[in-house]
Amino acid sequence: MSFVRERLAAFWDVWSRIWFQNSPTTPLEITRIGVGSALLIHYALATPYLSDLWSDNGWMPRDLAVSDDPWSLSLLFGVTSEWQLAAFHFIFLACCAAFIVGWRTSWVKWVLLIGQISYDHRNPMLFYGVDKILAALLFIMCLAPVGRALSLDRVRAVRAAKRHNLGATLPQFTSEWAGACTRLMQIQMATLFFYSAISKLGGDDWWYGDAVWYVFTTDEHYNATLLRFFASQYWLVNLATYGTILIELGYVFLIWQRATRPYLLALALFLHSQFALLMGLYYFSFTMMMGHMSFVRPEWLHNLGLAWKKKIGPMEMIYDGRCGFCVRSMVWFLAFDGLQQINIRNFRIDPSPVVSDEKMEKALYLVLPDGRALPGFEAYRHVVLRVPGMWWMVPFFYIPVLSRAVGTPVYNYIASHRSQMSSIFVGAEGGA
Amino acid sequence: MIRQRLTYLIMSLFVTWQTLVMIVAPAPDSYLSDAIRKVLQPYMSLLRLDSQWDFFAPNVGEGSRLRVIVEDKDGGQHTFNPAQQLSWFHPSYFWVRGWYYAIMDNPELYADAAIARFCKQHAALHPAAITLIEMQEERFTREDELAGEDRTDPKFFTAKTIKHAQCPE
Repeated sequence: MSFVRERLAAFWDVWSRIWFQNSPTTPLEITRIGVGSALLIHYALATPYLSDLWSDNGWMPRDLAVSDDPWSLSLLFGVTSEWQLAAFHFIFLACCAAFIVGWRTSWVKWVLLIGQISYDHRNPMLFYGVDKILAALLFIMCLAPVGRALSLDRVRAVRAAKRHNLGATLPQFTSEWAGACTRLMQIQMATLFFYSAISKLGGDDWWYGDAVWYVFTTDEHYNATLLRFFASQYWLVNLATYGTILIELGYVFLIWQRATRPYLLALALFLHSQFALLMGLYYFSFTMMMGHMSFVRPEWLHNLGLAWKKKIGPMEMIYDGRCGFCVRSMVWFLAFDGLQQINIRNFRIDPSPVVSDEKMEKALYLVLPDGRALPGFEAYRHVVLRVPGMWWMVPFFYIPVLSRAVGTPVYNYIASHRSQMSSIFVGAEGGA
Repeated sequence: MIRQRLTYLIMSLFVTWQTLVMIVAPAPDSYLSDAIRKVLQPYMSLLRLDSQWDFFAPNVGEGSRLRVIVEDKDGGQHTFNPAQQLSWFHPSYFWVRGWYYAIMDNPELYADAAIARFCKQHAALHPAAITLIEMQEERFTREDELAGEDRTDPKFFTAKTIKHAQCPE
């Protein structure tokens, strides 16, 4: 009896190590951002063709699209007019944008999956490789707790913690289920490569090393210049043909090991970059690359963050803790500092040895590692370029001449009226 | 403790199921895979997980190009290769080709509607009739290229008339 129990415990130990490792969601978040961006661009470009692609007046009337398979469902089968199709499409695009930035990810991801499947089932003539991959990746992301990092949902969570205490930090989200979903995506990518490789092994084109030549002679991928070049350097065709199979097969078996993973990942990304550049398969290749991101080790991202933080050095933001409006703004601002690069100091209770209180009465200051102190707008301008979570603000702060010409007086006005603003905004909220 | 074990059990059952789907969906037909697929099929169909992952396999295969011949009211003929106007950088490159393939593969379903569209599209030519031709690609080898042949030369295609129909007045 104890033998059986020991065996079961050993099995469970191995099973847990395979599936249920406590993991952060960061690799899946990269996939989320990438897949969301690919979907947004792809379907936004479909907007002028909406009627042709998915309406009853288009290429695929509904009665032809309805399949014998009762499980081939689509919300678009219920869409009867052009305005309904347009509404469906724009809601889908809005959800793509929300998915990218990680806003309300827990339900937006389901809208995306249902939307994507609905488009696919409504017009099967448009359905090709990339849609299959997208369906698989989106479904796994729907199950996974995505949106817990690199997202506005994370910003909102950090902000909620900082509202009570500006210095509060929120630990990185990790869960065993996140580990299981990452593993599922990894298995999906490995299975895809495995079947892709072995299906090629059965054909003469691949076996004799000619497949890449024939790919570029077909209508979709025809490239006269490349054919001319390949004809004179045919060994490249053989190398590319066998190389494709070798990378696909090697990936399946060597991607799991710590030592070989970076090389296989690099080779897979190289392969897809070639598909994109030479065959015009941008959407497919980018989506595949995002699937491969599930193999990015969280510690690589962690180390990358640490290296960035070290390169930039510590920054100290000195603010007026008595000004409610300033504190509220700081809460928002710091919520985007995912790497926690900015230290804070309330000069009212902890005066700075670098910046005098008299100066602090006029503006917020940022003290840099070399001892320089930047006031107000210049402080924000310096920070947004150096904190990855704030890069989206860079265009606002770095428009030549205009940003400074507008930003500095606006900041100075707000700083000099901060007491009034505190009573209006913070007071009003407190009263409510 | 029981709740935690139950959670792990449910999670384990699900990851096993999903892994089975990933492995069985593209597996070659066999008694075993067909039997398992029968159980998994509704799930795979609903979520679009039933894929073969056989890109350009087992062989690359030859494509087809759609050619449109517009006959005007004076009996003149104007030939178009509509796919040539598509941009490689826009996804319509694949969508429109998908439509052309549907027309060529199932002309009984799509050719009439396509002809009506082409009549409208080429209204400036005062079309009387449209003929849809499938240009099936023949193999173009390295030797052909070295011999100075042109891939787009008609001798590397087999023409097949799909449909000829009058344009509505």
